Amino acid sequence: MSGWGQIGAILRKDLIRELRTRDMLVSMALFALLAMVIFHWAFTVRGDTDLTYFTGGMLWVTFVFAMLLGLNRSFAQEKDEHCLDGLLLCPVDRVTIFLAKTVGNLVFLLIIQAVAVPVFVLFFVEGGFLEGLPAFLAVLLLADLGICALGTLLATISMNTRSRDLLLPILFLPLIVPLLVAATSATTLVLADGAGVREIGGRLLFMLGFDAVFLVVAWGTYDFAIGE
Amino acid sequence: MKKLVSAPALFLWAGAFLIVGLLLAFWWAPVDASAMGFSQKIFYYHAPIAETSLVGFGVAFAAAVMYLRTQDLKWDRLGYVSVRLGLLFAVLVMFTGMIWGKSSWGVWWAWEPRLTTFLLVCFLYAAYFVLRSVVEEEQRRATYAAVFAVIAFIDVPITWFATRLIPEGLHPVVFKAGDTGMEGSMFASFMISMIGMTLLLAALIRHGWQIELLKDRVTDLKSILGG
Amino acid sequence: MSIEEGAKYVAAAYAIILAVLVAYYFMSARRVTVLRRDVELLEEETKRRRASAGGADAD
Repeated sequence: MSGWGQIGAILRKDLIRELRTRDMLVSMALFALLAMVIFHWAFTVRGDTDLTYFTGGMLWVTFVFAMLLGLNRSFAQEKDEHCLDGLLLCPVDRVTIFLAKTVGNLVFLLIIQAVAVPVFVLFFVEGGFLEGLPAFLAVLLLADLGICALGTLLATISMNTRSRDLLLPILFLPLIVPLLVAATSATTLVLADGAGVREIGGRLLFMLGFDAVFLVVAWGTYDFAIGE
Repeated sequence: MKKLVSAPALFLWAGAFLIVGLLLAFWWAPVDASAMGFSQKIFYYHAPIAETSLVGFGVAFAAAVMYLRTQDLKWDRLGYVSVRLGLLFAVLVMFTGMIWGKSSWGVWWAWEPRLTTFLLVCFLYAAYFVLRSVVEEEQRRATYAAVFAVIAFIDVPITWFATRLIPEGLHPVVFKAGDTGMEGSMFASFMISMIGMTLLLAALIRHGWQIELLKDRVTDLKSILGG
Repeated sequence: MSIEEGAKYVAAAYAIILAVLVAYYFMSARRVTVLRRDVELLEEETKRRRASAGGADAD
């Protein structure tokens, strides 16, 4: 089987398993919606508070934490049922496992976002949204890619330790901050100030660089992370 | 030759450079003409400490790469010691930065890019120790720590760059290094302090590394005697 | 802030930092000496035992 075929096979396995139980997607989606409601209460300090300028922050904090939930889940299942041992016994390159896992997590995150973003826009964004859509989608995809690549690598490490899901946020959050800063400010510029792709070009480039760097680093170190 | 780079020798060299640097900074370099005035003197050890902290993390990065290539635990020990010292210096950076902030801007904390970066660096490398503490198996702990040290070191410049992306106007950029325009005497005093601080780090790393290796040797010998 | 006040801040901070670092150095130096002695003692002990074990084999 070719490398792409292997990635496809692992990906299909993860998707089928998730679609059967749906425990990960349901809890991630509910968490994202709940977080928005809580943000609304937390930030509405006066009756007429315009939350448009908080949109970027709320959106990305929600997605990063939802992803933390999902990452822990996706590897806990592998570990508990000894699926990972089986996967490691297959004649598959470790890097292939990394890519398949990253794409799988990316798919889950995109599904959550497809549900949460429209609700979010309805709740918080005052004024037009459609003209900013290309720029918004660009930010979304670039930030998601970085979150999933780094998240998959660190989740693999933390799942092999004694404290498991407790460790992941501590490793993941400080590392993801640069991406979060760029994505947050770019999203706010798009949603609140009506900026287009050109205005946020620098931030998009920064995110692209972040993704590239950490994909390469994860590529090089995943062998060590996944263990024997 | 070996004597010249031993820890005590390095320590003496560091002491000499630091004392000379200090004397030059206070009595030779002019008092800064800007509003910062005398409090600018803190720069002569604040900046060297920051640089030294990054050197410590750089050494940890190199040690991590060496460990991943050779699987020799002595590199893990070097990485561990370097991160610990880097973190100690990073905390000192925050400490001196806050004092500088208070004396020249009137506030203990400002979200200034470099200070923010060091705050994040402290969190990042604190996580390194949490990671080490939750893996029991020696080789595996060393491997994970090395992987994390590599990622963390790459993240440091990216973080510094990202702090510039925070929209201006939301946070005051009170201080820019380029504006100060260092004079020759300032630069010389600064460089001497910087060399001194780096040598001090080298001495501390050497000692720390020696301690870790000796501890391993003691454990080995004890297990031989016990078994 | 006057010069005297600034000087007080700066000097205090420098003194504290150097005190911390120098104390750290001497503590680790002590640690090295103690560990060196431990290793020496343990090595001697190992050698002694090995020698007596070798002697026992020869008997």
